[in-house]
Amino acid sequence: MNIFKDLMWFFKSEKKSYIGGIFILALVSLGQLIPPKVVGQLVDHMREDTLTERMLISYGSLLLGIAAVIYVLRFLWRIFIFGAAVRLSLLLRKKLYDHFTKQSSEFYQKRRVGDLMAHSTNDLQAIQQTAGDGVLTLVDSLMVGGFTLIAMATTISWKLTLISLIPMPFMAYATSRYGTMLHKRFHAAQEAFSSLNDKVQESISGSRVIKAFGQEEHDSAAFKELSADAVRKNMAVAKVDSLFDPTISLIVGFSFFLAVSFGAFFVVQGEMSLGDLVSFTAYLGLLIWPMLAFGWLFNIVERGRASYDRVMKLLGTEEVIRDNGVKTAISAGDIMFRLEEFRYQKDRIPALKDITFNLKEGQTLGITGKTGSGKTTLCRLLMREYDTGEGSIFLGELDIASFTNESVKKLISYVPQDHFLFSASIRENIAFSKYDAPFLDVKEAAERAAVHEDIAAFKEGYETVVGERGVMLSGGQKQRISIARALLHGGDVLILDDSLSAVDAKTEEKILNSLKTIRSGKTTVITAHRLSSIAHADWIIVLDEGRAVQQGTHEQLKSDEGWYKDTLQRQALESLIAQGG
Amino acid sequence: MESKQISEDVAGIDQKRVFWRLMSFMRPYKKKLTLAFFLLLMATALELLAPLVVKVFIDDYLTPGNFEEKTMLLLGGGYLLLVAAAAAVNYTQFVLFQSIALNIIQDLRVQMYEAVHRLGLKFFDRTPVGSLVSKITNDTEAIKDLYVSVLSTFVQNIVYLLGIFAVMFYLNAKLALYCMILVPVILWIMWMYRKYSSRSFFEMRERLSLLNARLNESLQGMAIIQAYNQQKRMKREFKEINESHAKAQMKNITYNGLLLRPAVDVIYMAALVTILSYFGFASFQTSVEIGVVYAFINYLDRFFEPVNMMMMRLSMFQQAVISAGRVFQVMDEREMAPGKMGEGEPRIEGGRIEFCNVTFSYDGKQDVLHNISFTAEPGTTVALVGHTGSGKSSIISLLMRFYTPDNGTITIDGEDLQAYDNRELRSKIGLVLQDSFLFAGNIHENISMNRKSGEEVHHAAEFVQASKFIEKLPESYQTAVGERGSGLSSGQRQLISFARTMAFQPKILILDEATANIDTETEEEIQEALKKMRHGRTTIAIAHRLSTIQDADQILVLHKGKIAERGTHQELLRQNGLYHKMYLLQQGTGVEAI
Repeated sequence: MNIFKDLMWFFKSEKKSYIGGIFILALVSLGQLIPPKVVGQLVDHMREDTLTERMLISYGSLLLGIAAVIYVLRFLWRIFIFGAAVRLSLLLRKKLYDHFTKQSSEFYQKRRVGDLMAHSTNDLQAIQQTAGDGVLTLVDSLMVGGFTLIAMATTISWKLTLISLIPMPFMAYATSRYGTMLHKRFHAAQEAFSSLNDKVQESISGSRVIKAFGQEEHDSAAFKELSADAVRKNMAVAKVDSLFDPTISLIVGFSFFLAVSFGAFFVVQGEMSLGDLVSFTAYLGLLIWPMLAFGWLFNIVERGRASYDRVMKLLGTEEVIRDNGVKTAISAGDIMFRLEEFRYQKDRIPALKDITFNLKEGQTLGITGKTGSGKTTLCRLLMREYDTGEGSIFLGELDIASFTNESVKKLISYVPQDHFLFSASIRENIAFSKYDAPFLDVKEAAERAAVHEDIAAFKEGYETVVGERGVMLSGGQKQRISIARALLHGGDVLILDDSLSAVDAKTEEKILNSLKTIRSGKTTVITAHRLSSIAHADWIIVLDEGRAVQQGTHEQLKSDEGWYKDTLQRQALESLIAQGG
Repeated sequence: MESKQISEDVAGIDQKRVFWRLMSFMRPYKKKLTLAFFLLLMATALELLAPLVVKVFIDDYLTPGNFEEKTMLLLGGGYLLLVAAAAAVNYTQFVLFQSIALNIIQDLRVQMYEAVHRLGLKFFDRTPVGSLVSKITNDTEAIKDLYVSVLSTFVQNIVYLLGIFAVMFYLNAKLALYCMILVPVILWIMWMYRKYSSRSFFEMRERLSLLNARLNESLQGMAIIQAYNQQKRMKREFKEINESHAKAQMKNITYNGLLLRPAVDVIYMAALVTILSYFGFASFQTSVEIGVVYAFINYLDRFFEPVNMMMMRLSMFQQAVISAGRVFQVMDEREMAPGKMGEGEPRIEGGRIEFCNVTFSYDGKQDVLHNISFTAEPGTTVALVGHTGSGKSSIISLLMRFYTPDNGTITIDGEDLQAYDNRELRSKIGLVLQDSFLFAGNIHENISMNRKSGEEVHHAAEFVQASKFIEKLPESYQTAVGERGSGLSSGQRQLISFARTMAFQPKILILDEATANIDTETEEEIQEALKKMRHGRTTIAIAHRLSTIQDADQILVLHKGKIAERGTHQELLRQNGLYHKMYLLQQGTGVEAI
């Protein structure tokens, strides 16, 4: 029940809703006690033939009045308590999202998106349930149970109350036992389901291999076995699950038996009237729910507790990029890159070592090298996604760290290697950083990135929705849209991280040409495998295992013996072959 | 950035047809269902009898003050027996219903899975893996809810309600008739609920999936968001989606509050007042049997629990029907895998392959293969070379009968490819894939593919010289492999997949050579194994390294779906064309891929 203490800050901030809701719940519980009493009295009057028409009408309208009031009250507490719970998950979800936007790349490297999603969905749901159903169940069962017991004991017979309650603890015991059993078996069933899921995932991904080896039948048989296992596990759940209702009706039946037989005895003894007995059994019916609810409550609270802890832990991790700079960077100016060593948090081998270069404003830098040689890392340092470690990067006169992150990012247009598009229209994706850019600007950027014609070919043109829920684009189209996005952003520095790999030679040339015109006077950094992408650069760095093994202009490098020259020759032949000789 | 597709699903599916189709899955369980139904009736009868016993007790014994010991014991014992028997029978029927439901889902799943396996690669090409997996697992799981809880709840509760009415009629026909008014009122509330509340429920679900999609996307694209300083805008947009979800939740709570339990309770109270007034007015004329009053009120109490239960299941019901619609869509898919056509059971003996003017396109628009003709004589090797996208893999896919050519014919041993049944084709054509795909399981299972004996497995492993390293492993052939943590090098995995191919002793070998460099340690062994495997078998090889195919009997150089050059290594070099250039390229750079 500690979770209620942990959530106290929220209950306090929603004081009105909770106090109001609980108060109304109390009224409803009290109101519910009246009908059985009225029924009992009516029955007594009927039996004694003392019932008058007026009495009947007034009792009847009393009942109807109570019904109407309870209806309204029931509606209200739902709005109060469940509404507050909705606001709790709203608030926590917002907090999580805000938190996510502040975390650095390292945070995301350490965690899987799926896990973060699970925290933001399942865990929040469990917390919401605790703040809604949990509070309701706790308050309601205590009150209904308490009031009913008091009413039974004080207005009818405390002796009969005690007697008929004898079987109730058995119910609490049985349901909590079933609960634990159910929990375990349910877990097993969930696992069976997830291994079924894994199996399907593997087989569907490997459908080509399955067909090649004629394994369809065997694979289906394996699936059948797993599925049958899931059935067995679910059957085990069903066997426990089905125990609840019969057990409850058995125990309630026993309780009624005690109430009626001992009640009859008391009636004969003259300790109570027959009407009292009818009321009493009605009260007894009211007690079933609180008994059940308590078992259920433990379940909710247990889940809520675990979920709340996980969410709080996540909110407690701070892996933000340091943002101590105070100056606003107005222009990038000359870039001076002085790096002794940079390594990712736990890596033993440095990702970059001894990299030094100067890039005058307006120049183009080309970076090449094998996969994993450190090209992307270099871009990321320029983007200030990481602190430089040993070394520094100067924008103009000042260290990059002395500027605010926001102003640095404003200066840089970045096209990442793994082109990511959002589930939105193409226009919205291109205008990502300038959301209200006029359409003509968007179109111009697309033209410059040589993707306008592709877009125009879609039925809905720039309003075509892309991403997971939209049309499938080719890798090259995605890359060019990413480039258009960066061009529209129009920062002082453009970084293209291997962003021309999926476009053909002709398109590449087109893009490079338009870059030349629109980027004149502005700094550009291009990393590429294909040397044709960087041949025009003012300075070229060849990276190998984090070190700059060759540096110079294209003219210098193409005659020097080394990786650059070899690669250049090989790629020239390759393109010849691709064109069919 | 919000796509408006709320409730599109609901409208797109003929719900009635889907429902009846779902019902047809119950047919094999007719007997079991009848038994379950009978038990259900019995349990209901037992449960309903118990208050009657109390009624008899109150009216015939308590009121007149007649407490004969024997009768009392009989009544009391009878009551307890009824309660216990009802519990026992109820338990049995609950379990029975669940077991039927789970078995139906099992049938449905297996049927669907088998149907998916009959589909051709064209279907898999255009269907995202994730959505298909989700249909096979999650959607069938949602249908499970229909059988497990919705149907049994509805059947049970309707039977229960009918039982209650029967007893009410028995007790007092006229009053029971009055109570019948409840039925249309409750149906009306259900209708209202379906109309408003389930709509808001679906809206809430839609918003939730939108919210999750946005969250998922933001997490994946966080680098971009941060790079472009869009945190504020994304936060604002997320806030909007978050709030609209909360609003939908509130709306749902409101409708549930207006139409669910509170509303049903009002009806209950109205019914209670009706019954009391009836007896009250009756008592002015004659004396009333209090036992009947007791019983009526007790039944009324019981009447509303089932109603509440059914109301709560309504949205589940709709979810299940929508899921079923998606499942049936896959089961009705007609993009079948090419299969055997025509009479006779030809066998592949020699392994002579002939492609004759074969033209093929994946999408029906752009030809990836154009007028391909070649012959591979038994025991010879034909090598396919060309850059990425030249059509090498498509030729292999056609030969494996993953797709059917649009034009032209492919024959093996003079018989059309379509004349062979799948089993013959799959066992006589051995495929060695470039990314050696190993199934989750141990090495033995991966080689035997559940068809071959231990001896055959060992023999095959020895043949490709994989046995050496396998036997050194601590668990030998029982070593687990698969996606994760196998600890095997890519070369070793390759040798295992070689052994798998050889265990089937194919007549034709298809080699899809790895593009990536294999670790040099196993490189030699792999080349040696390949040479051994090719011996005496017709081989079609996709080669990336020209050095490995120099001894091929015929080399086809593909360019843009056409055969640009053909001949032996020496002949092609003399032609001084594309092949010659490729050769030069690889000479210069060692063993790198094209």
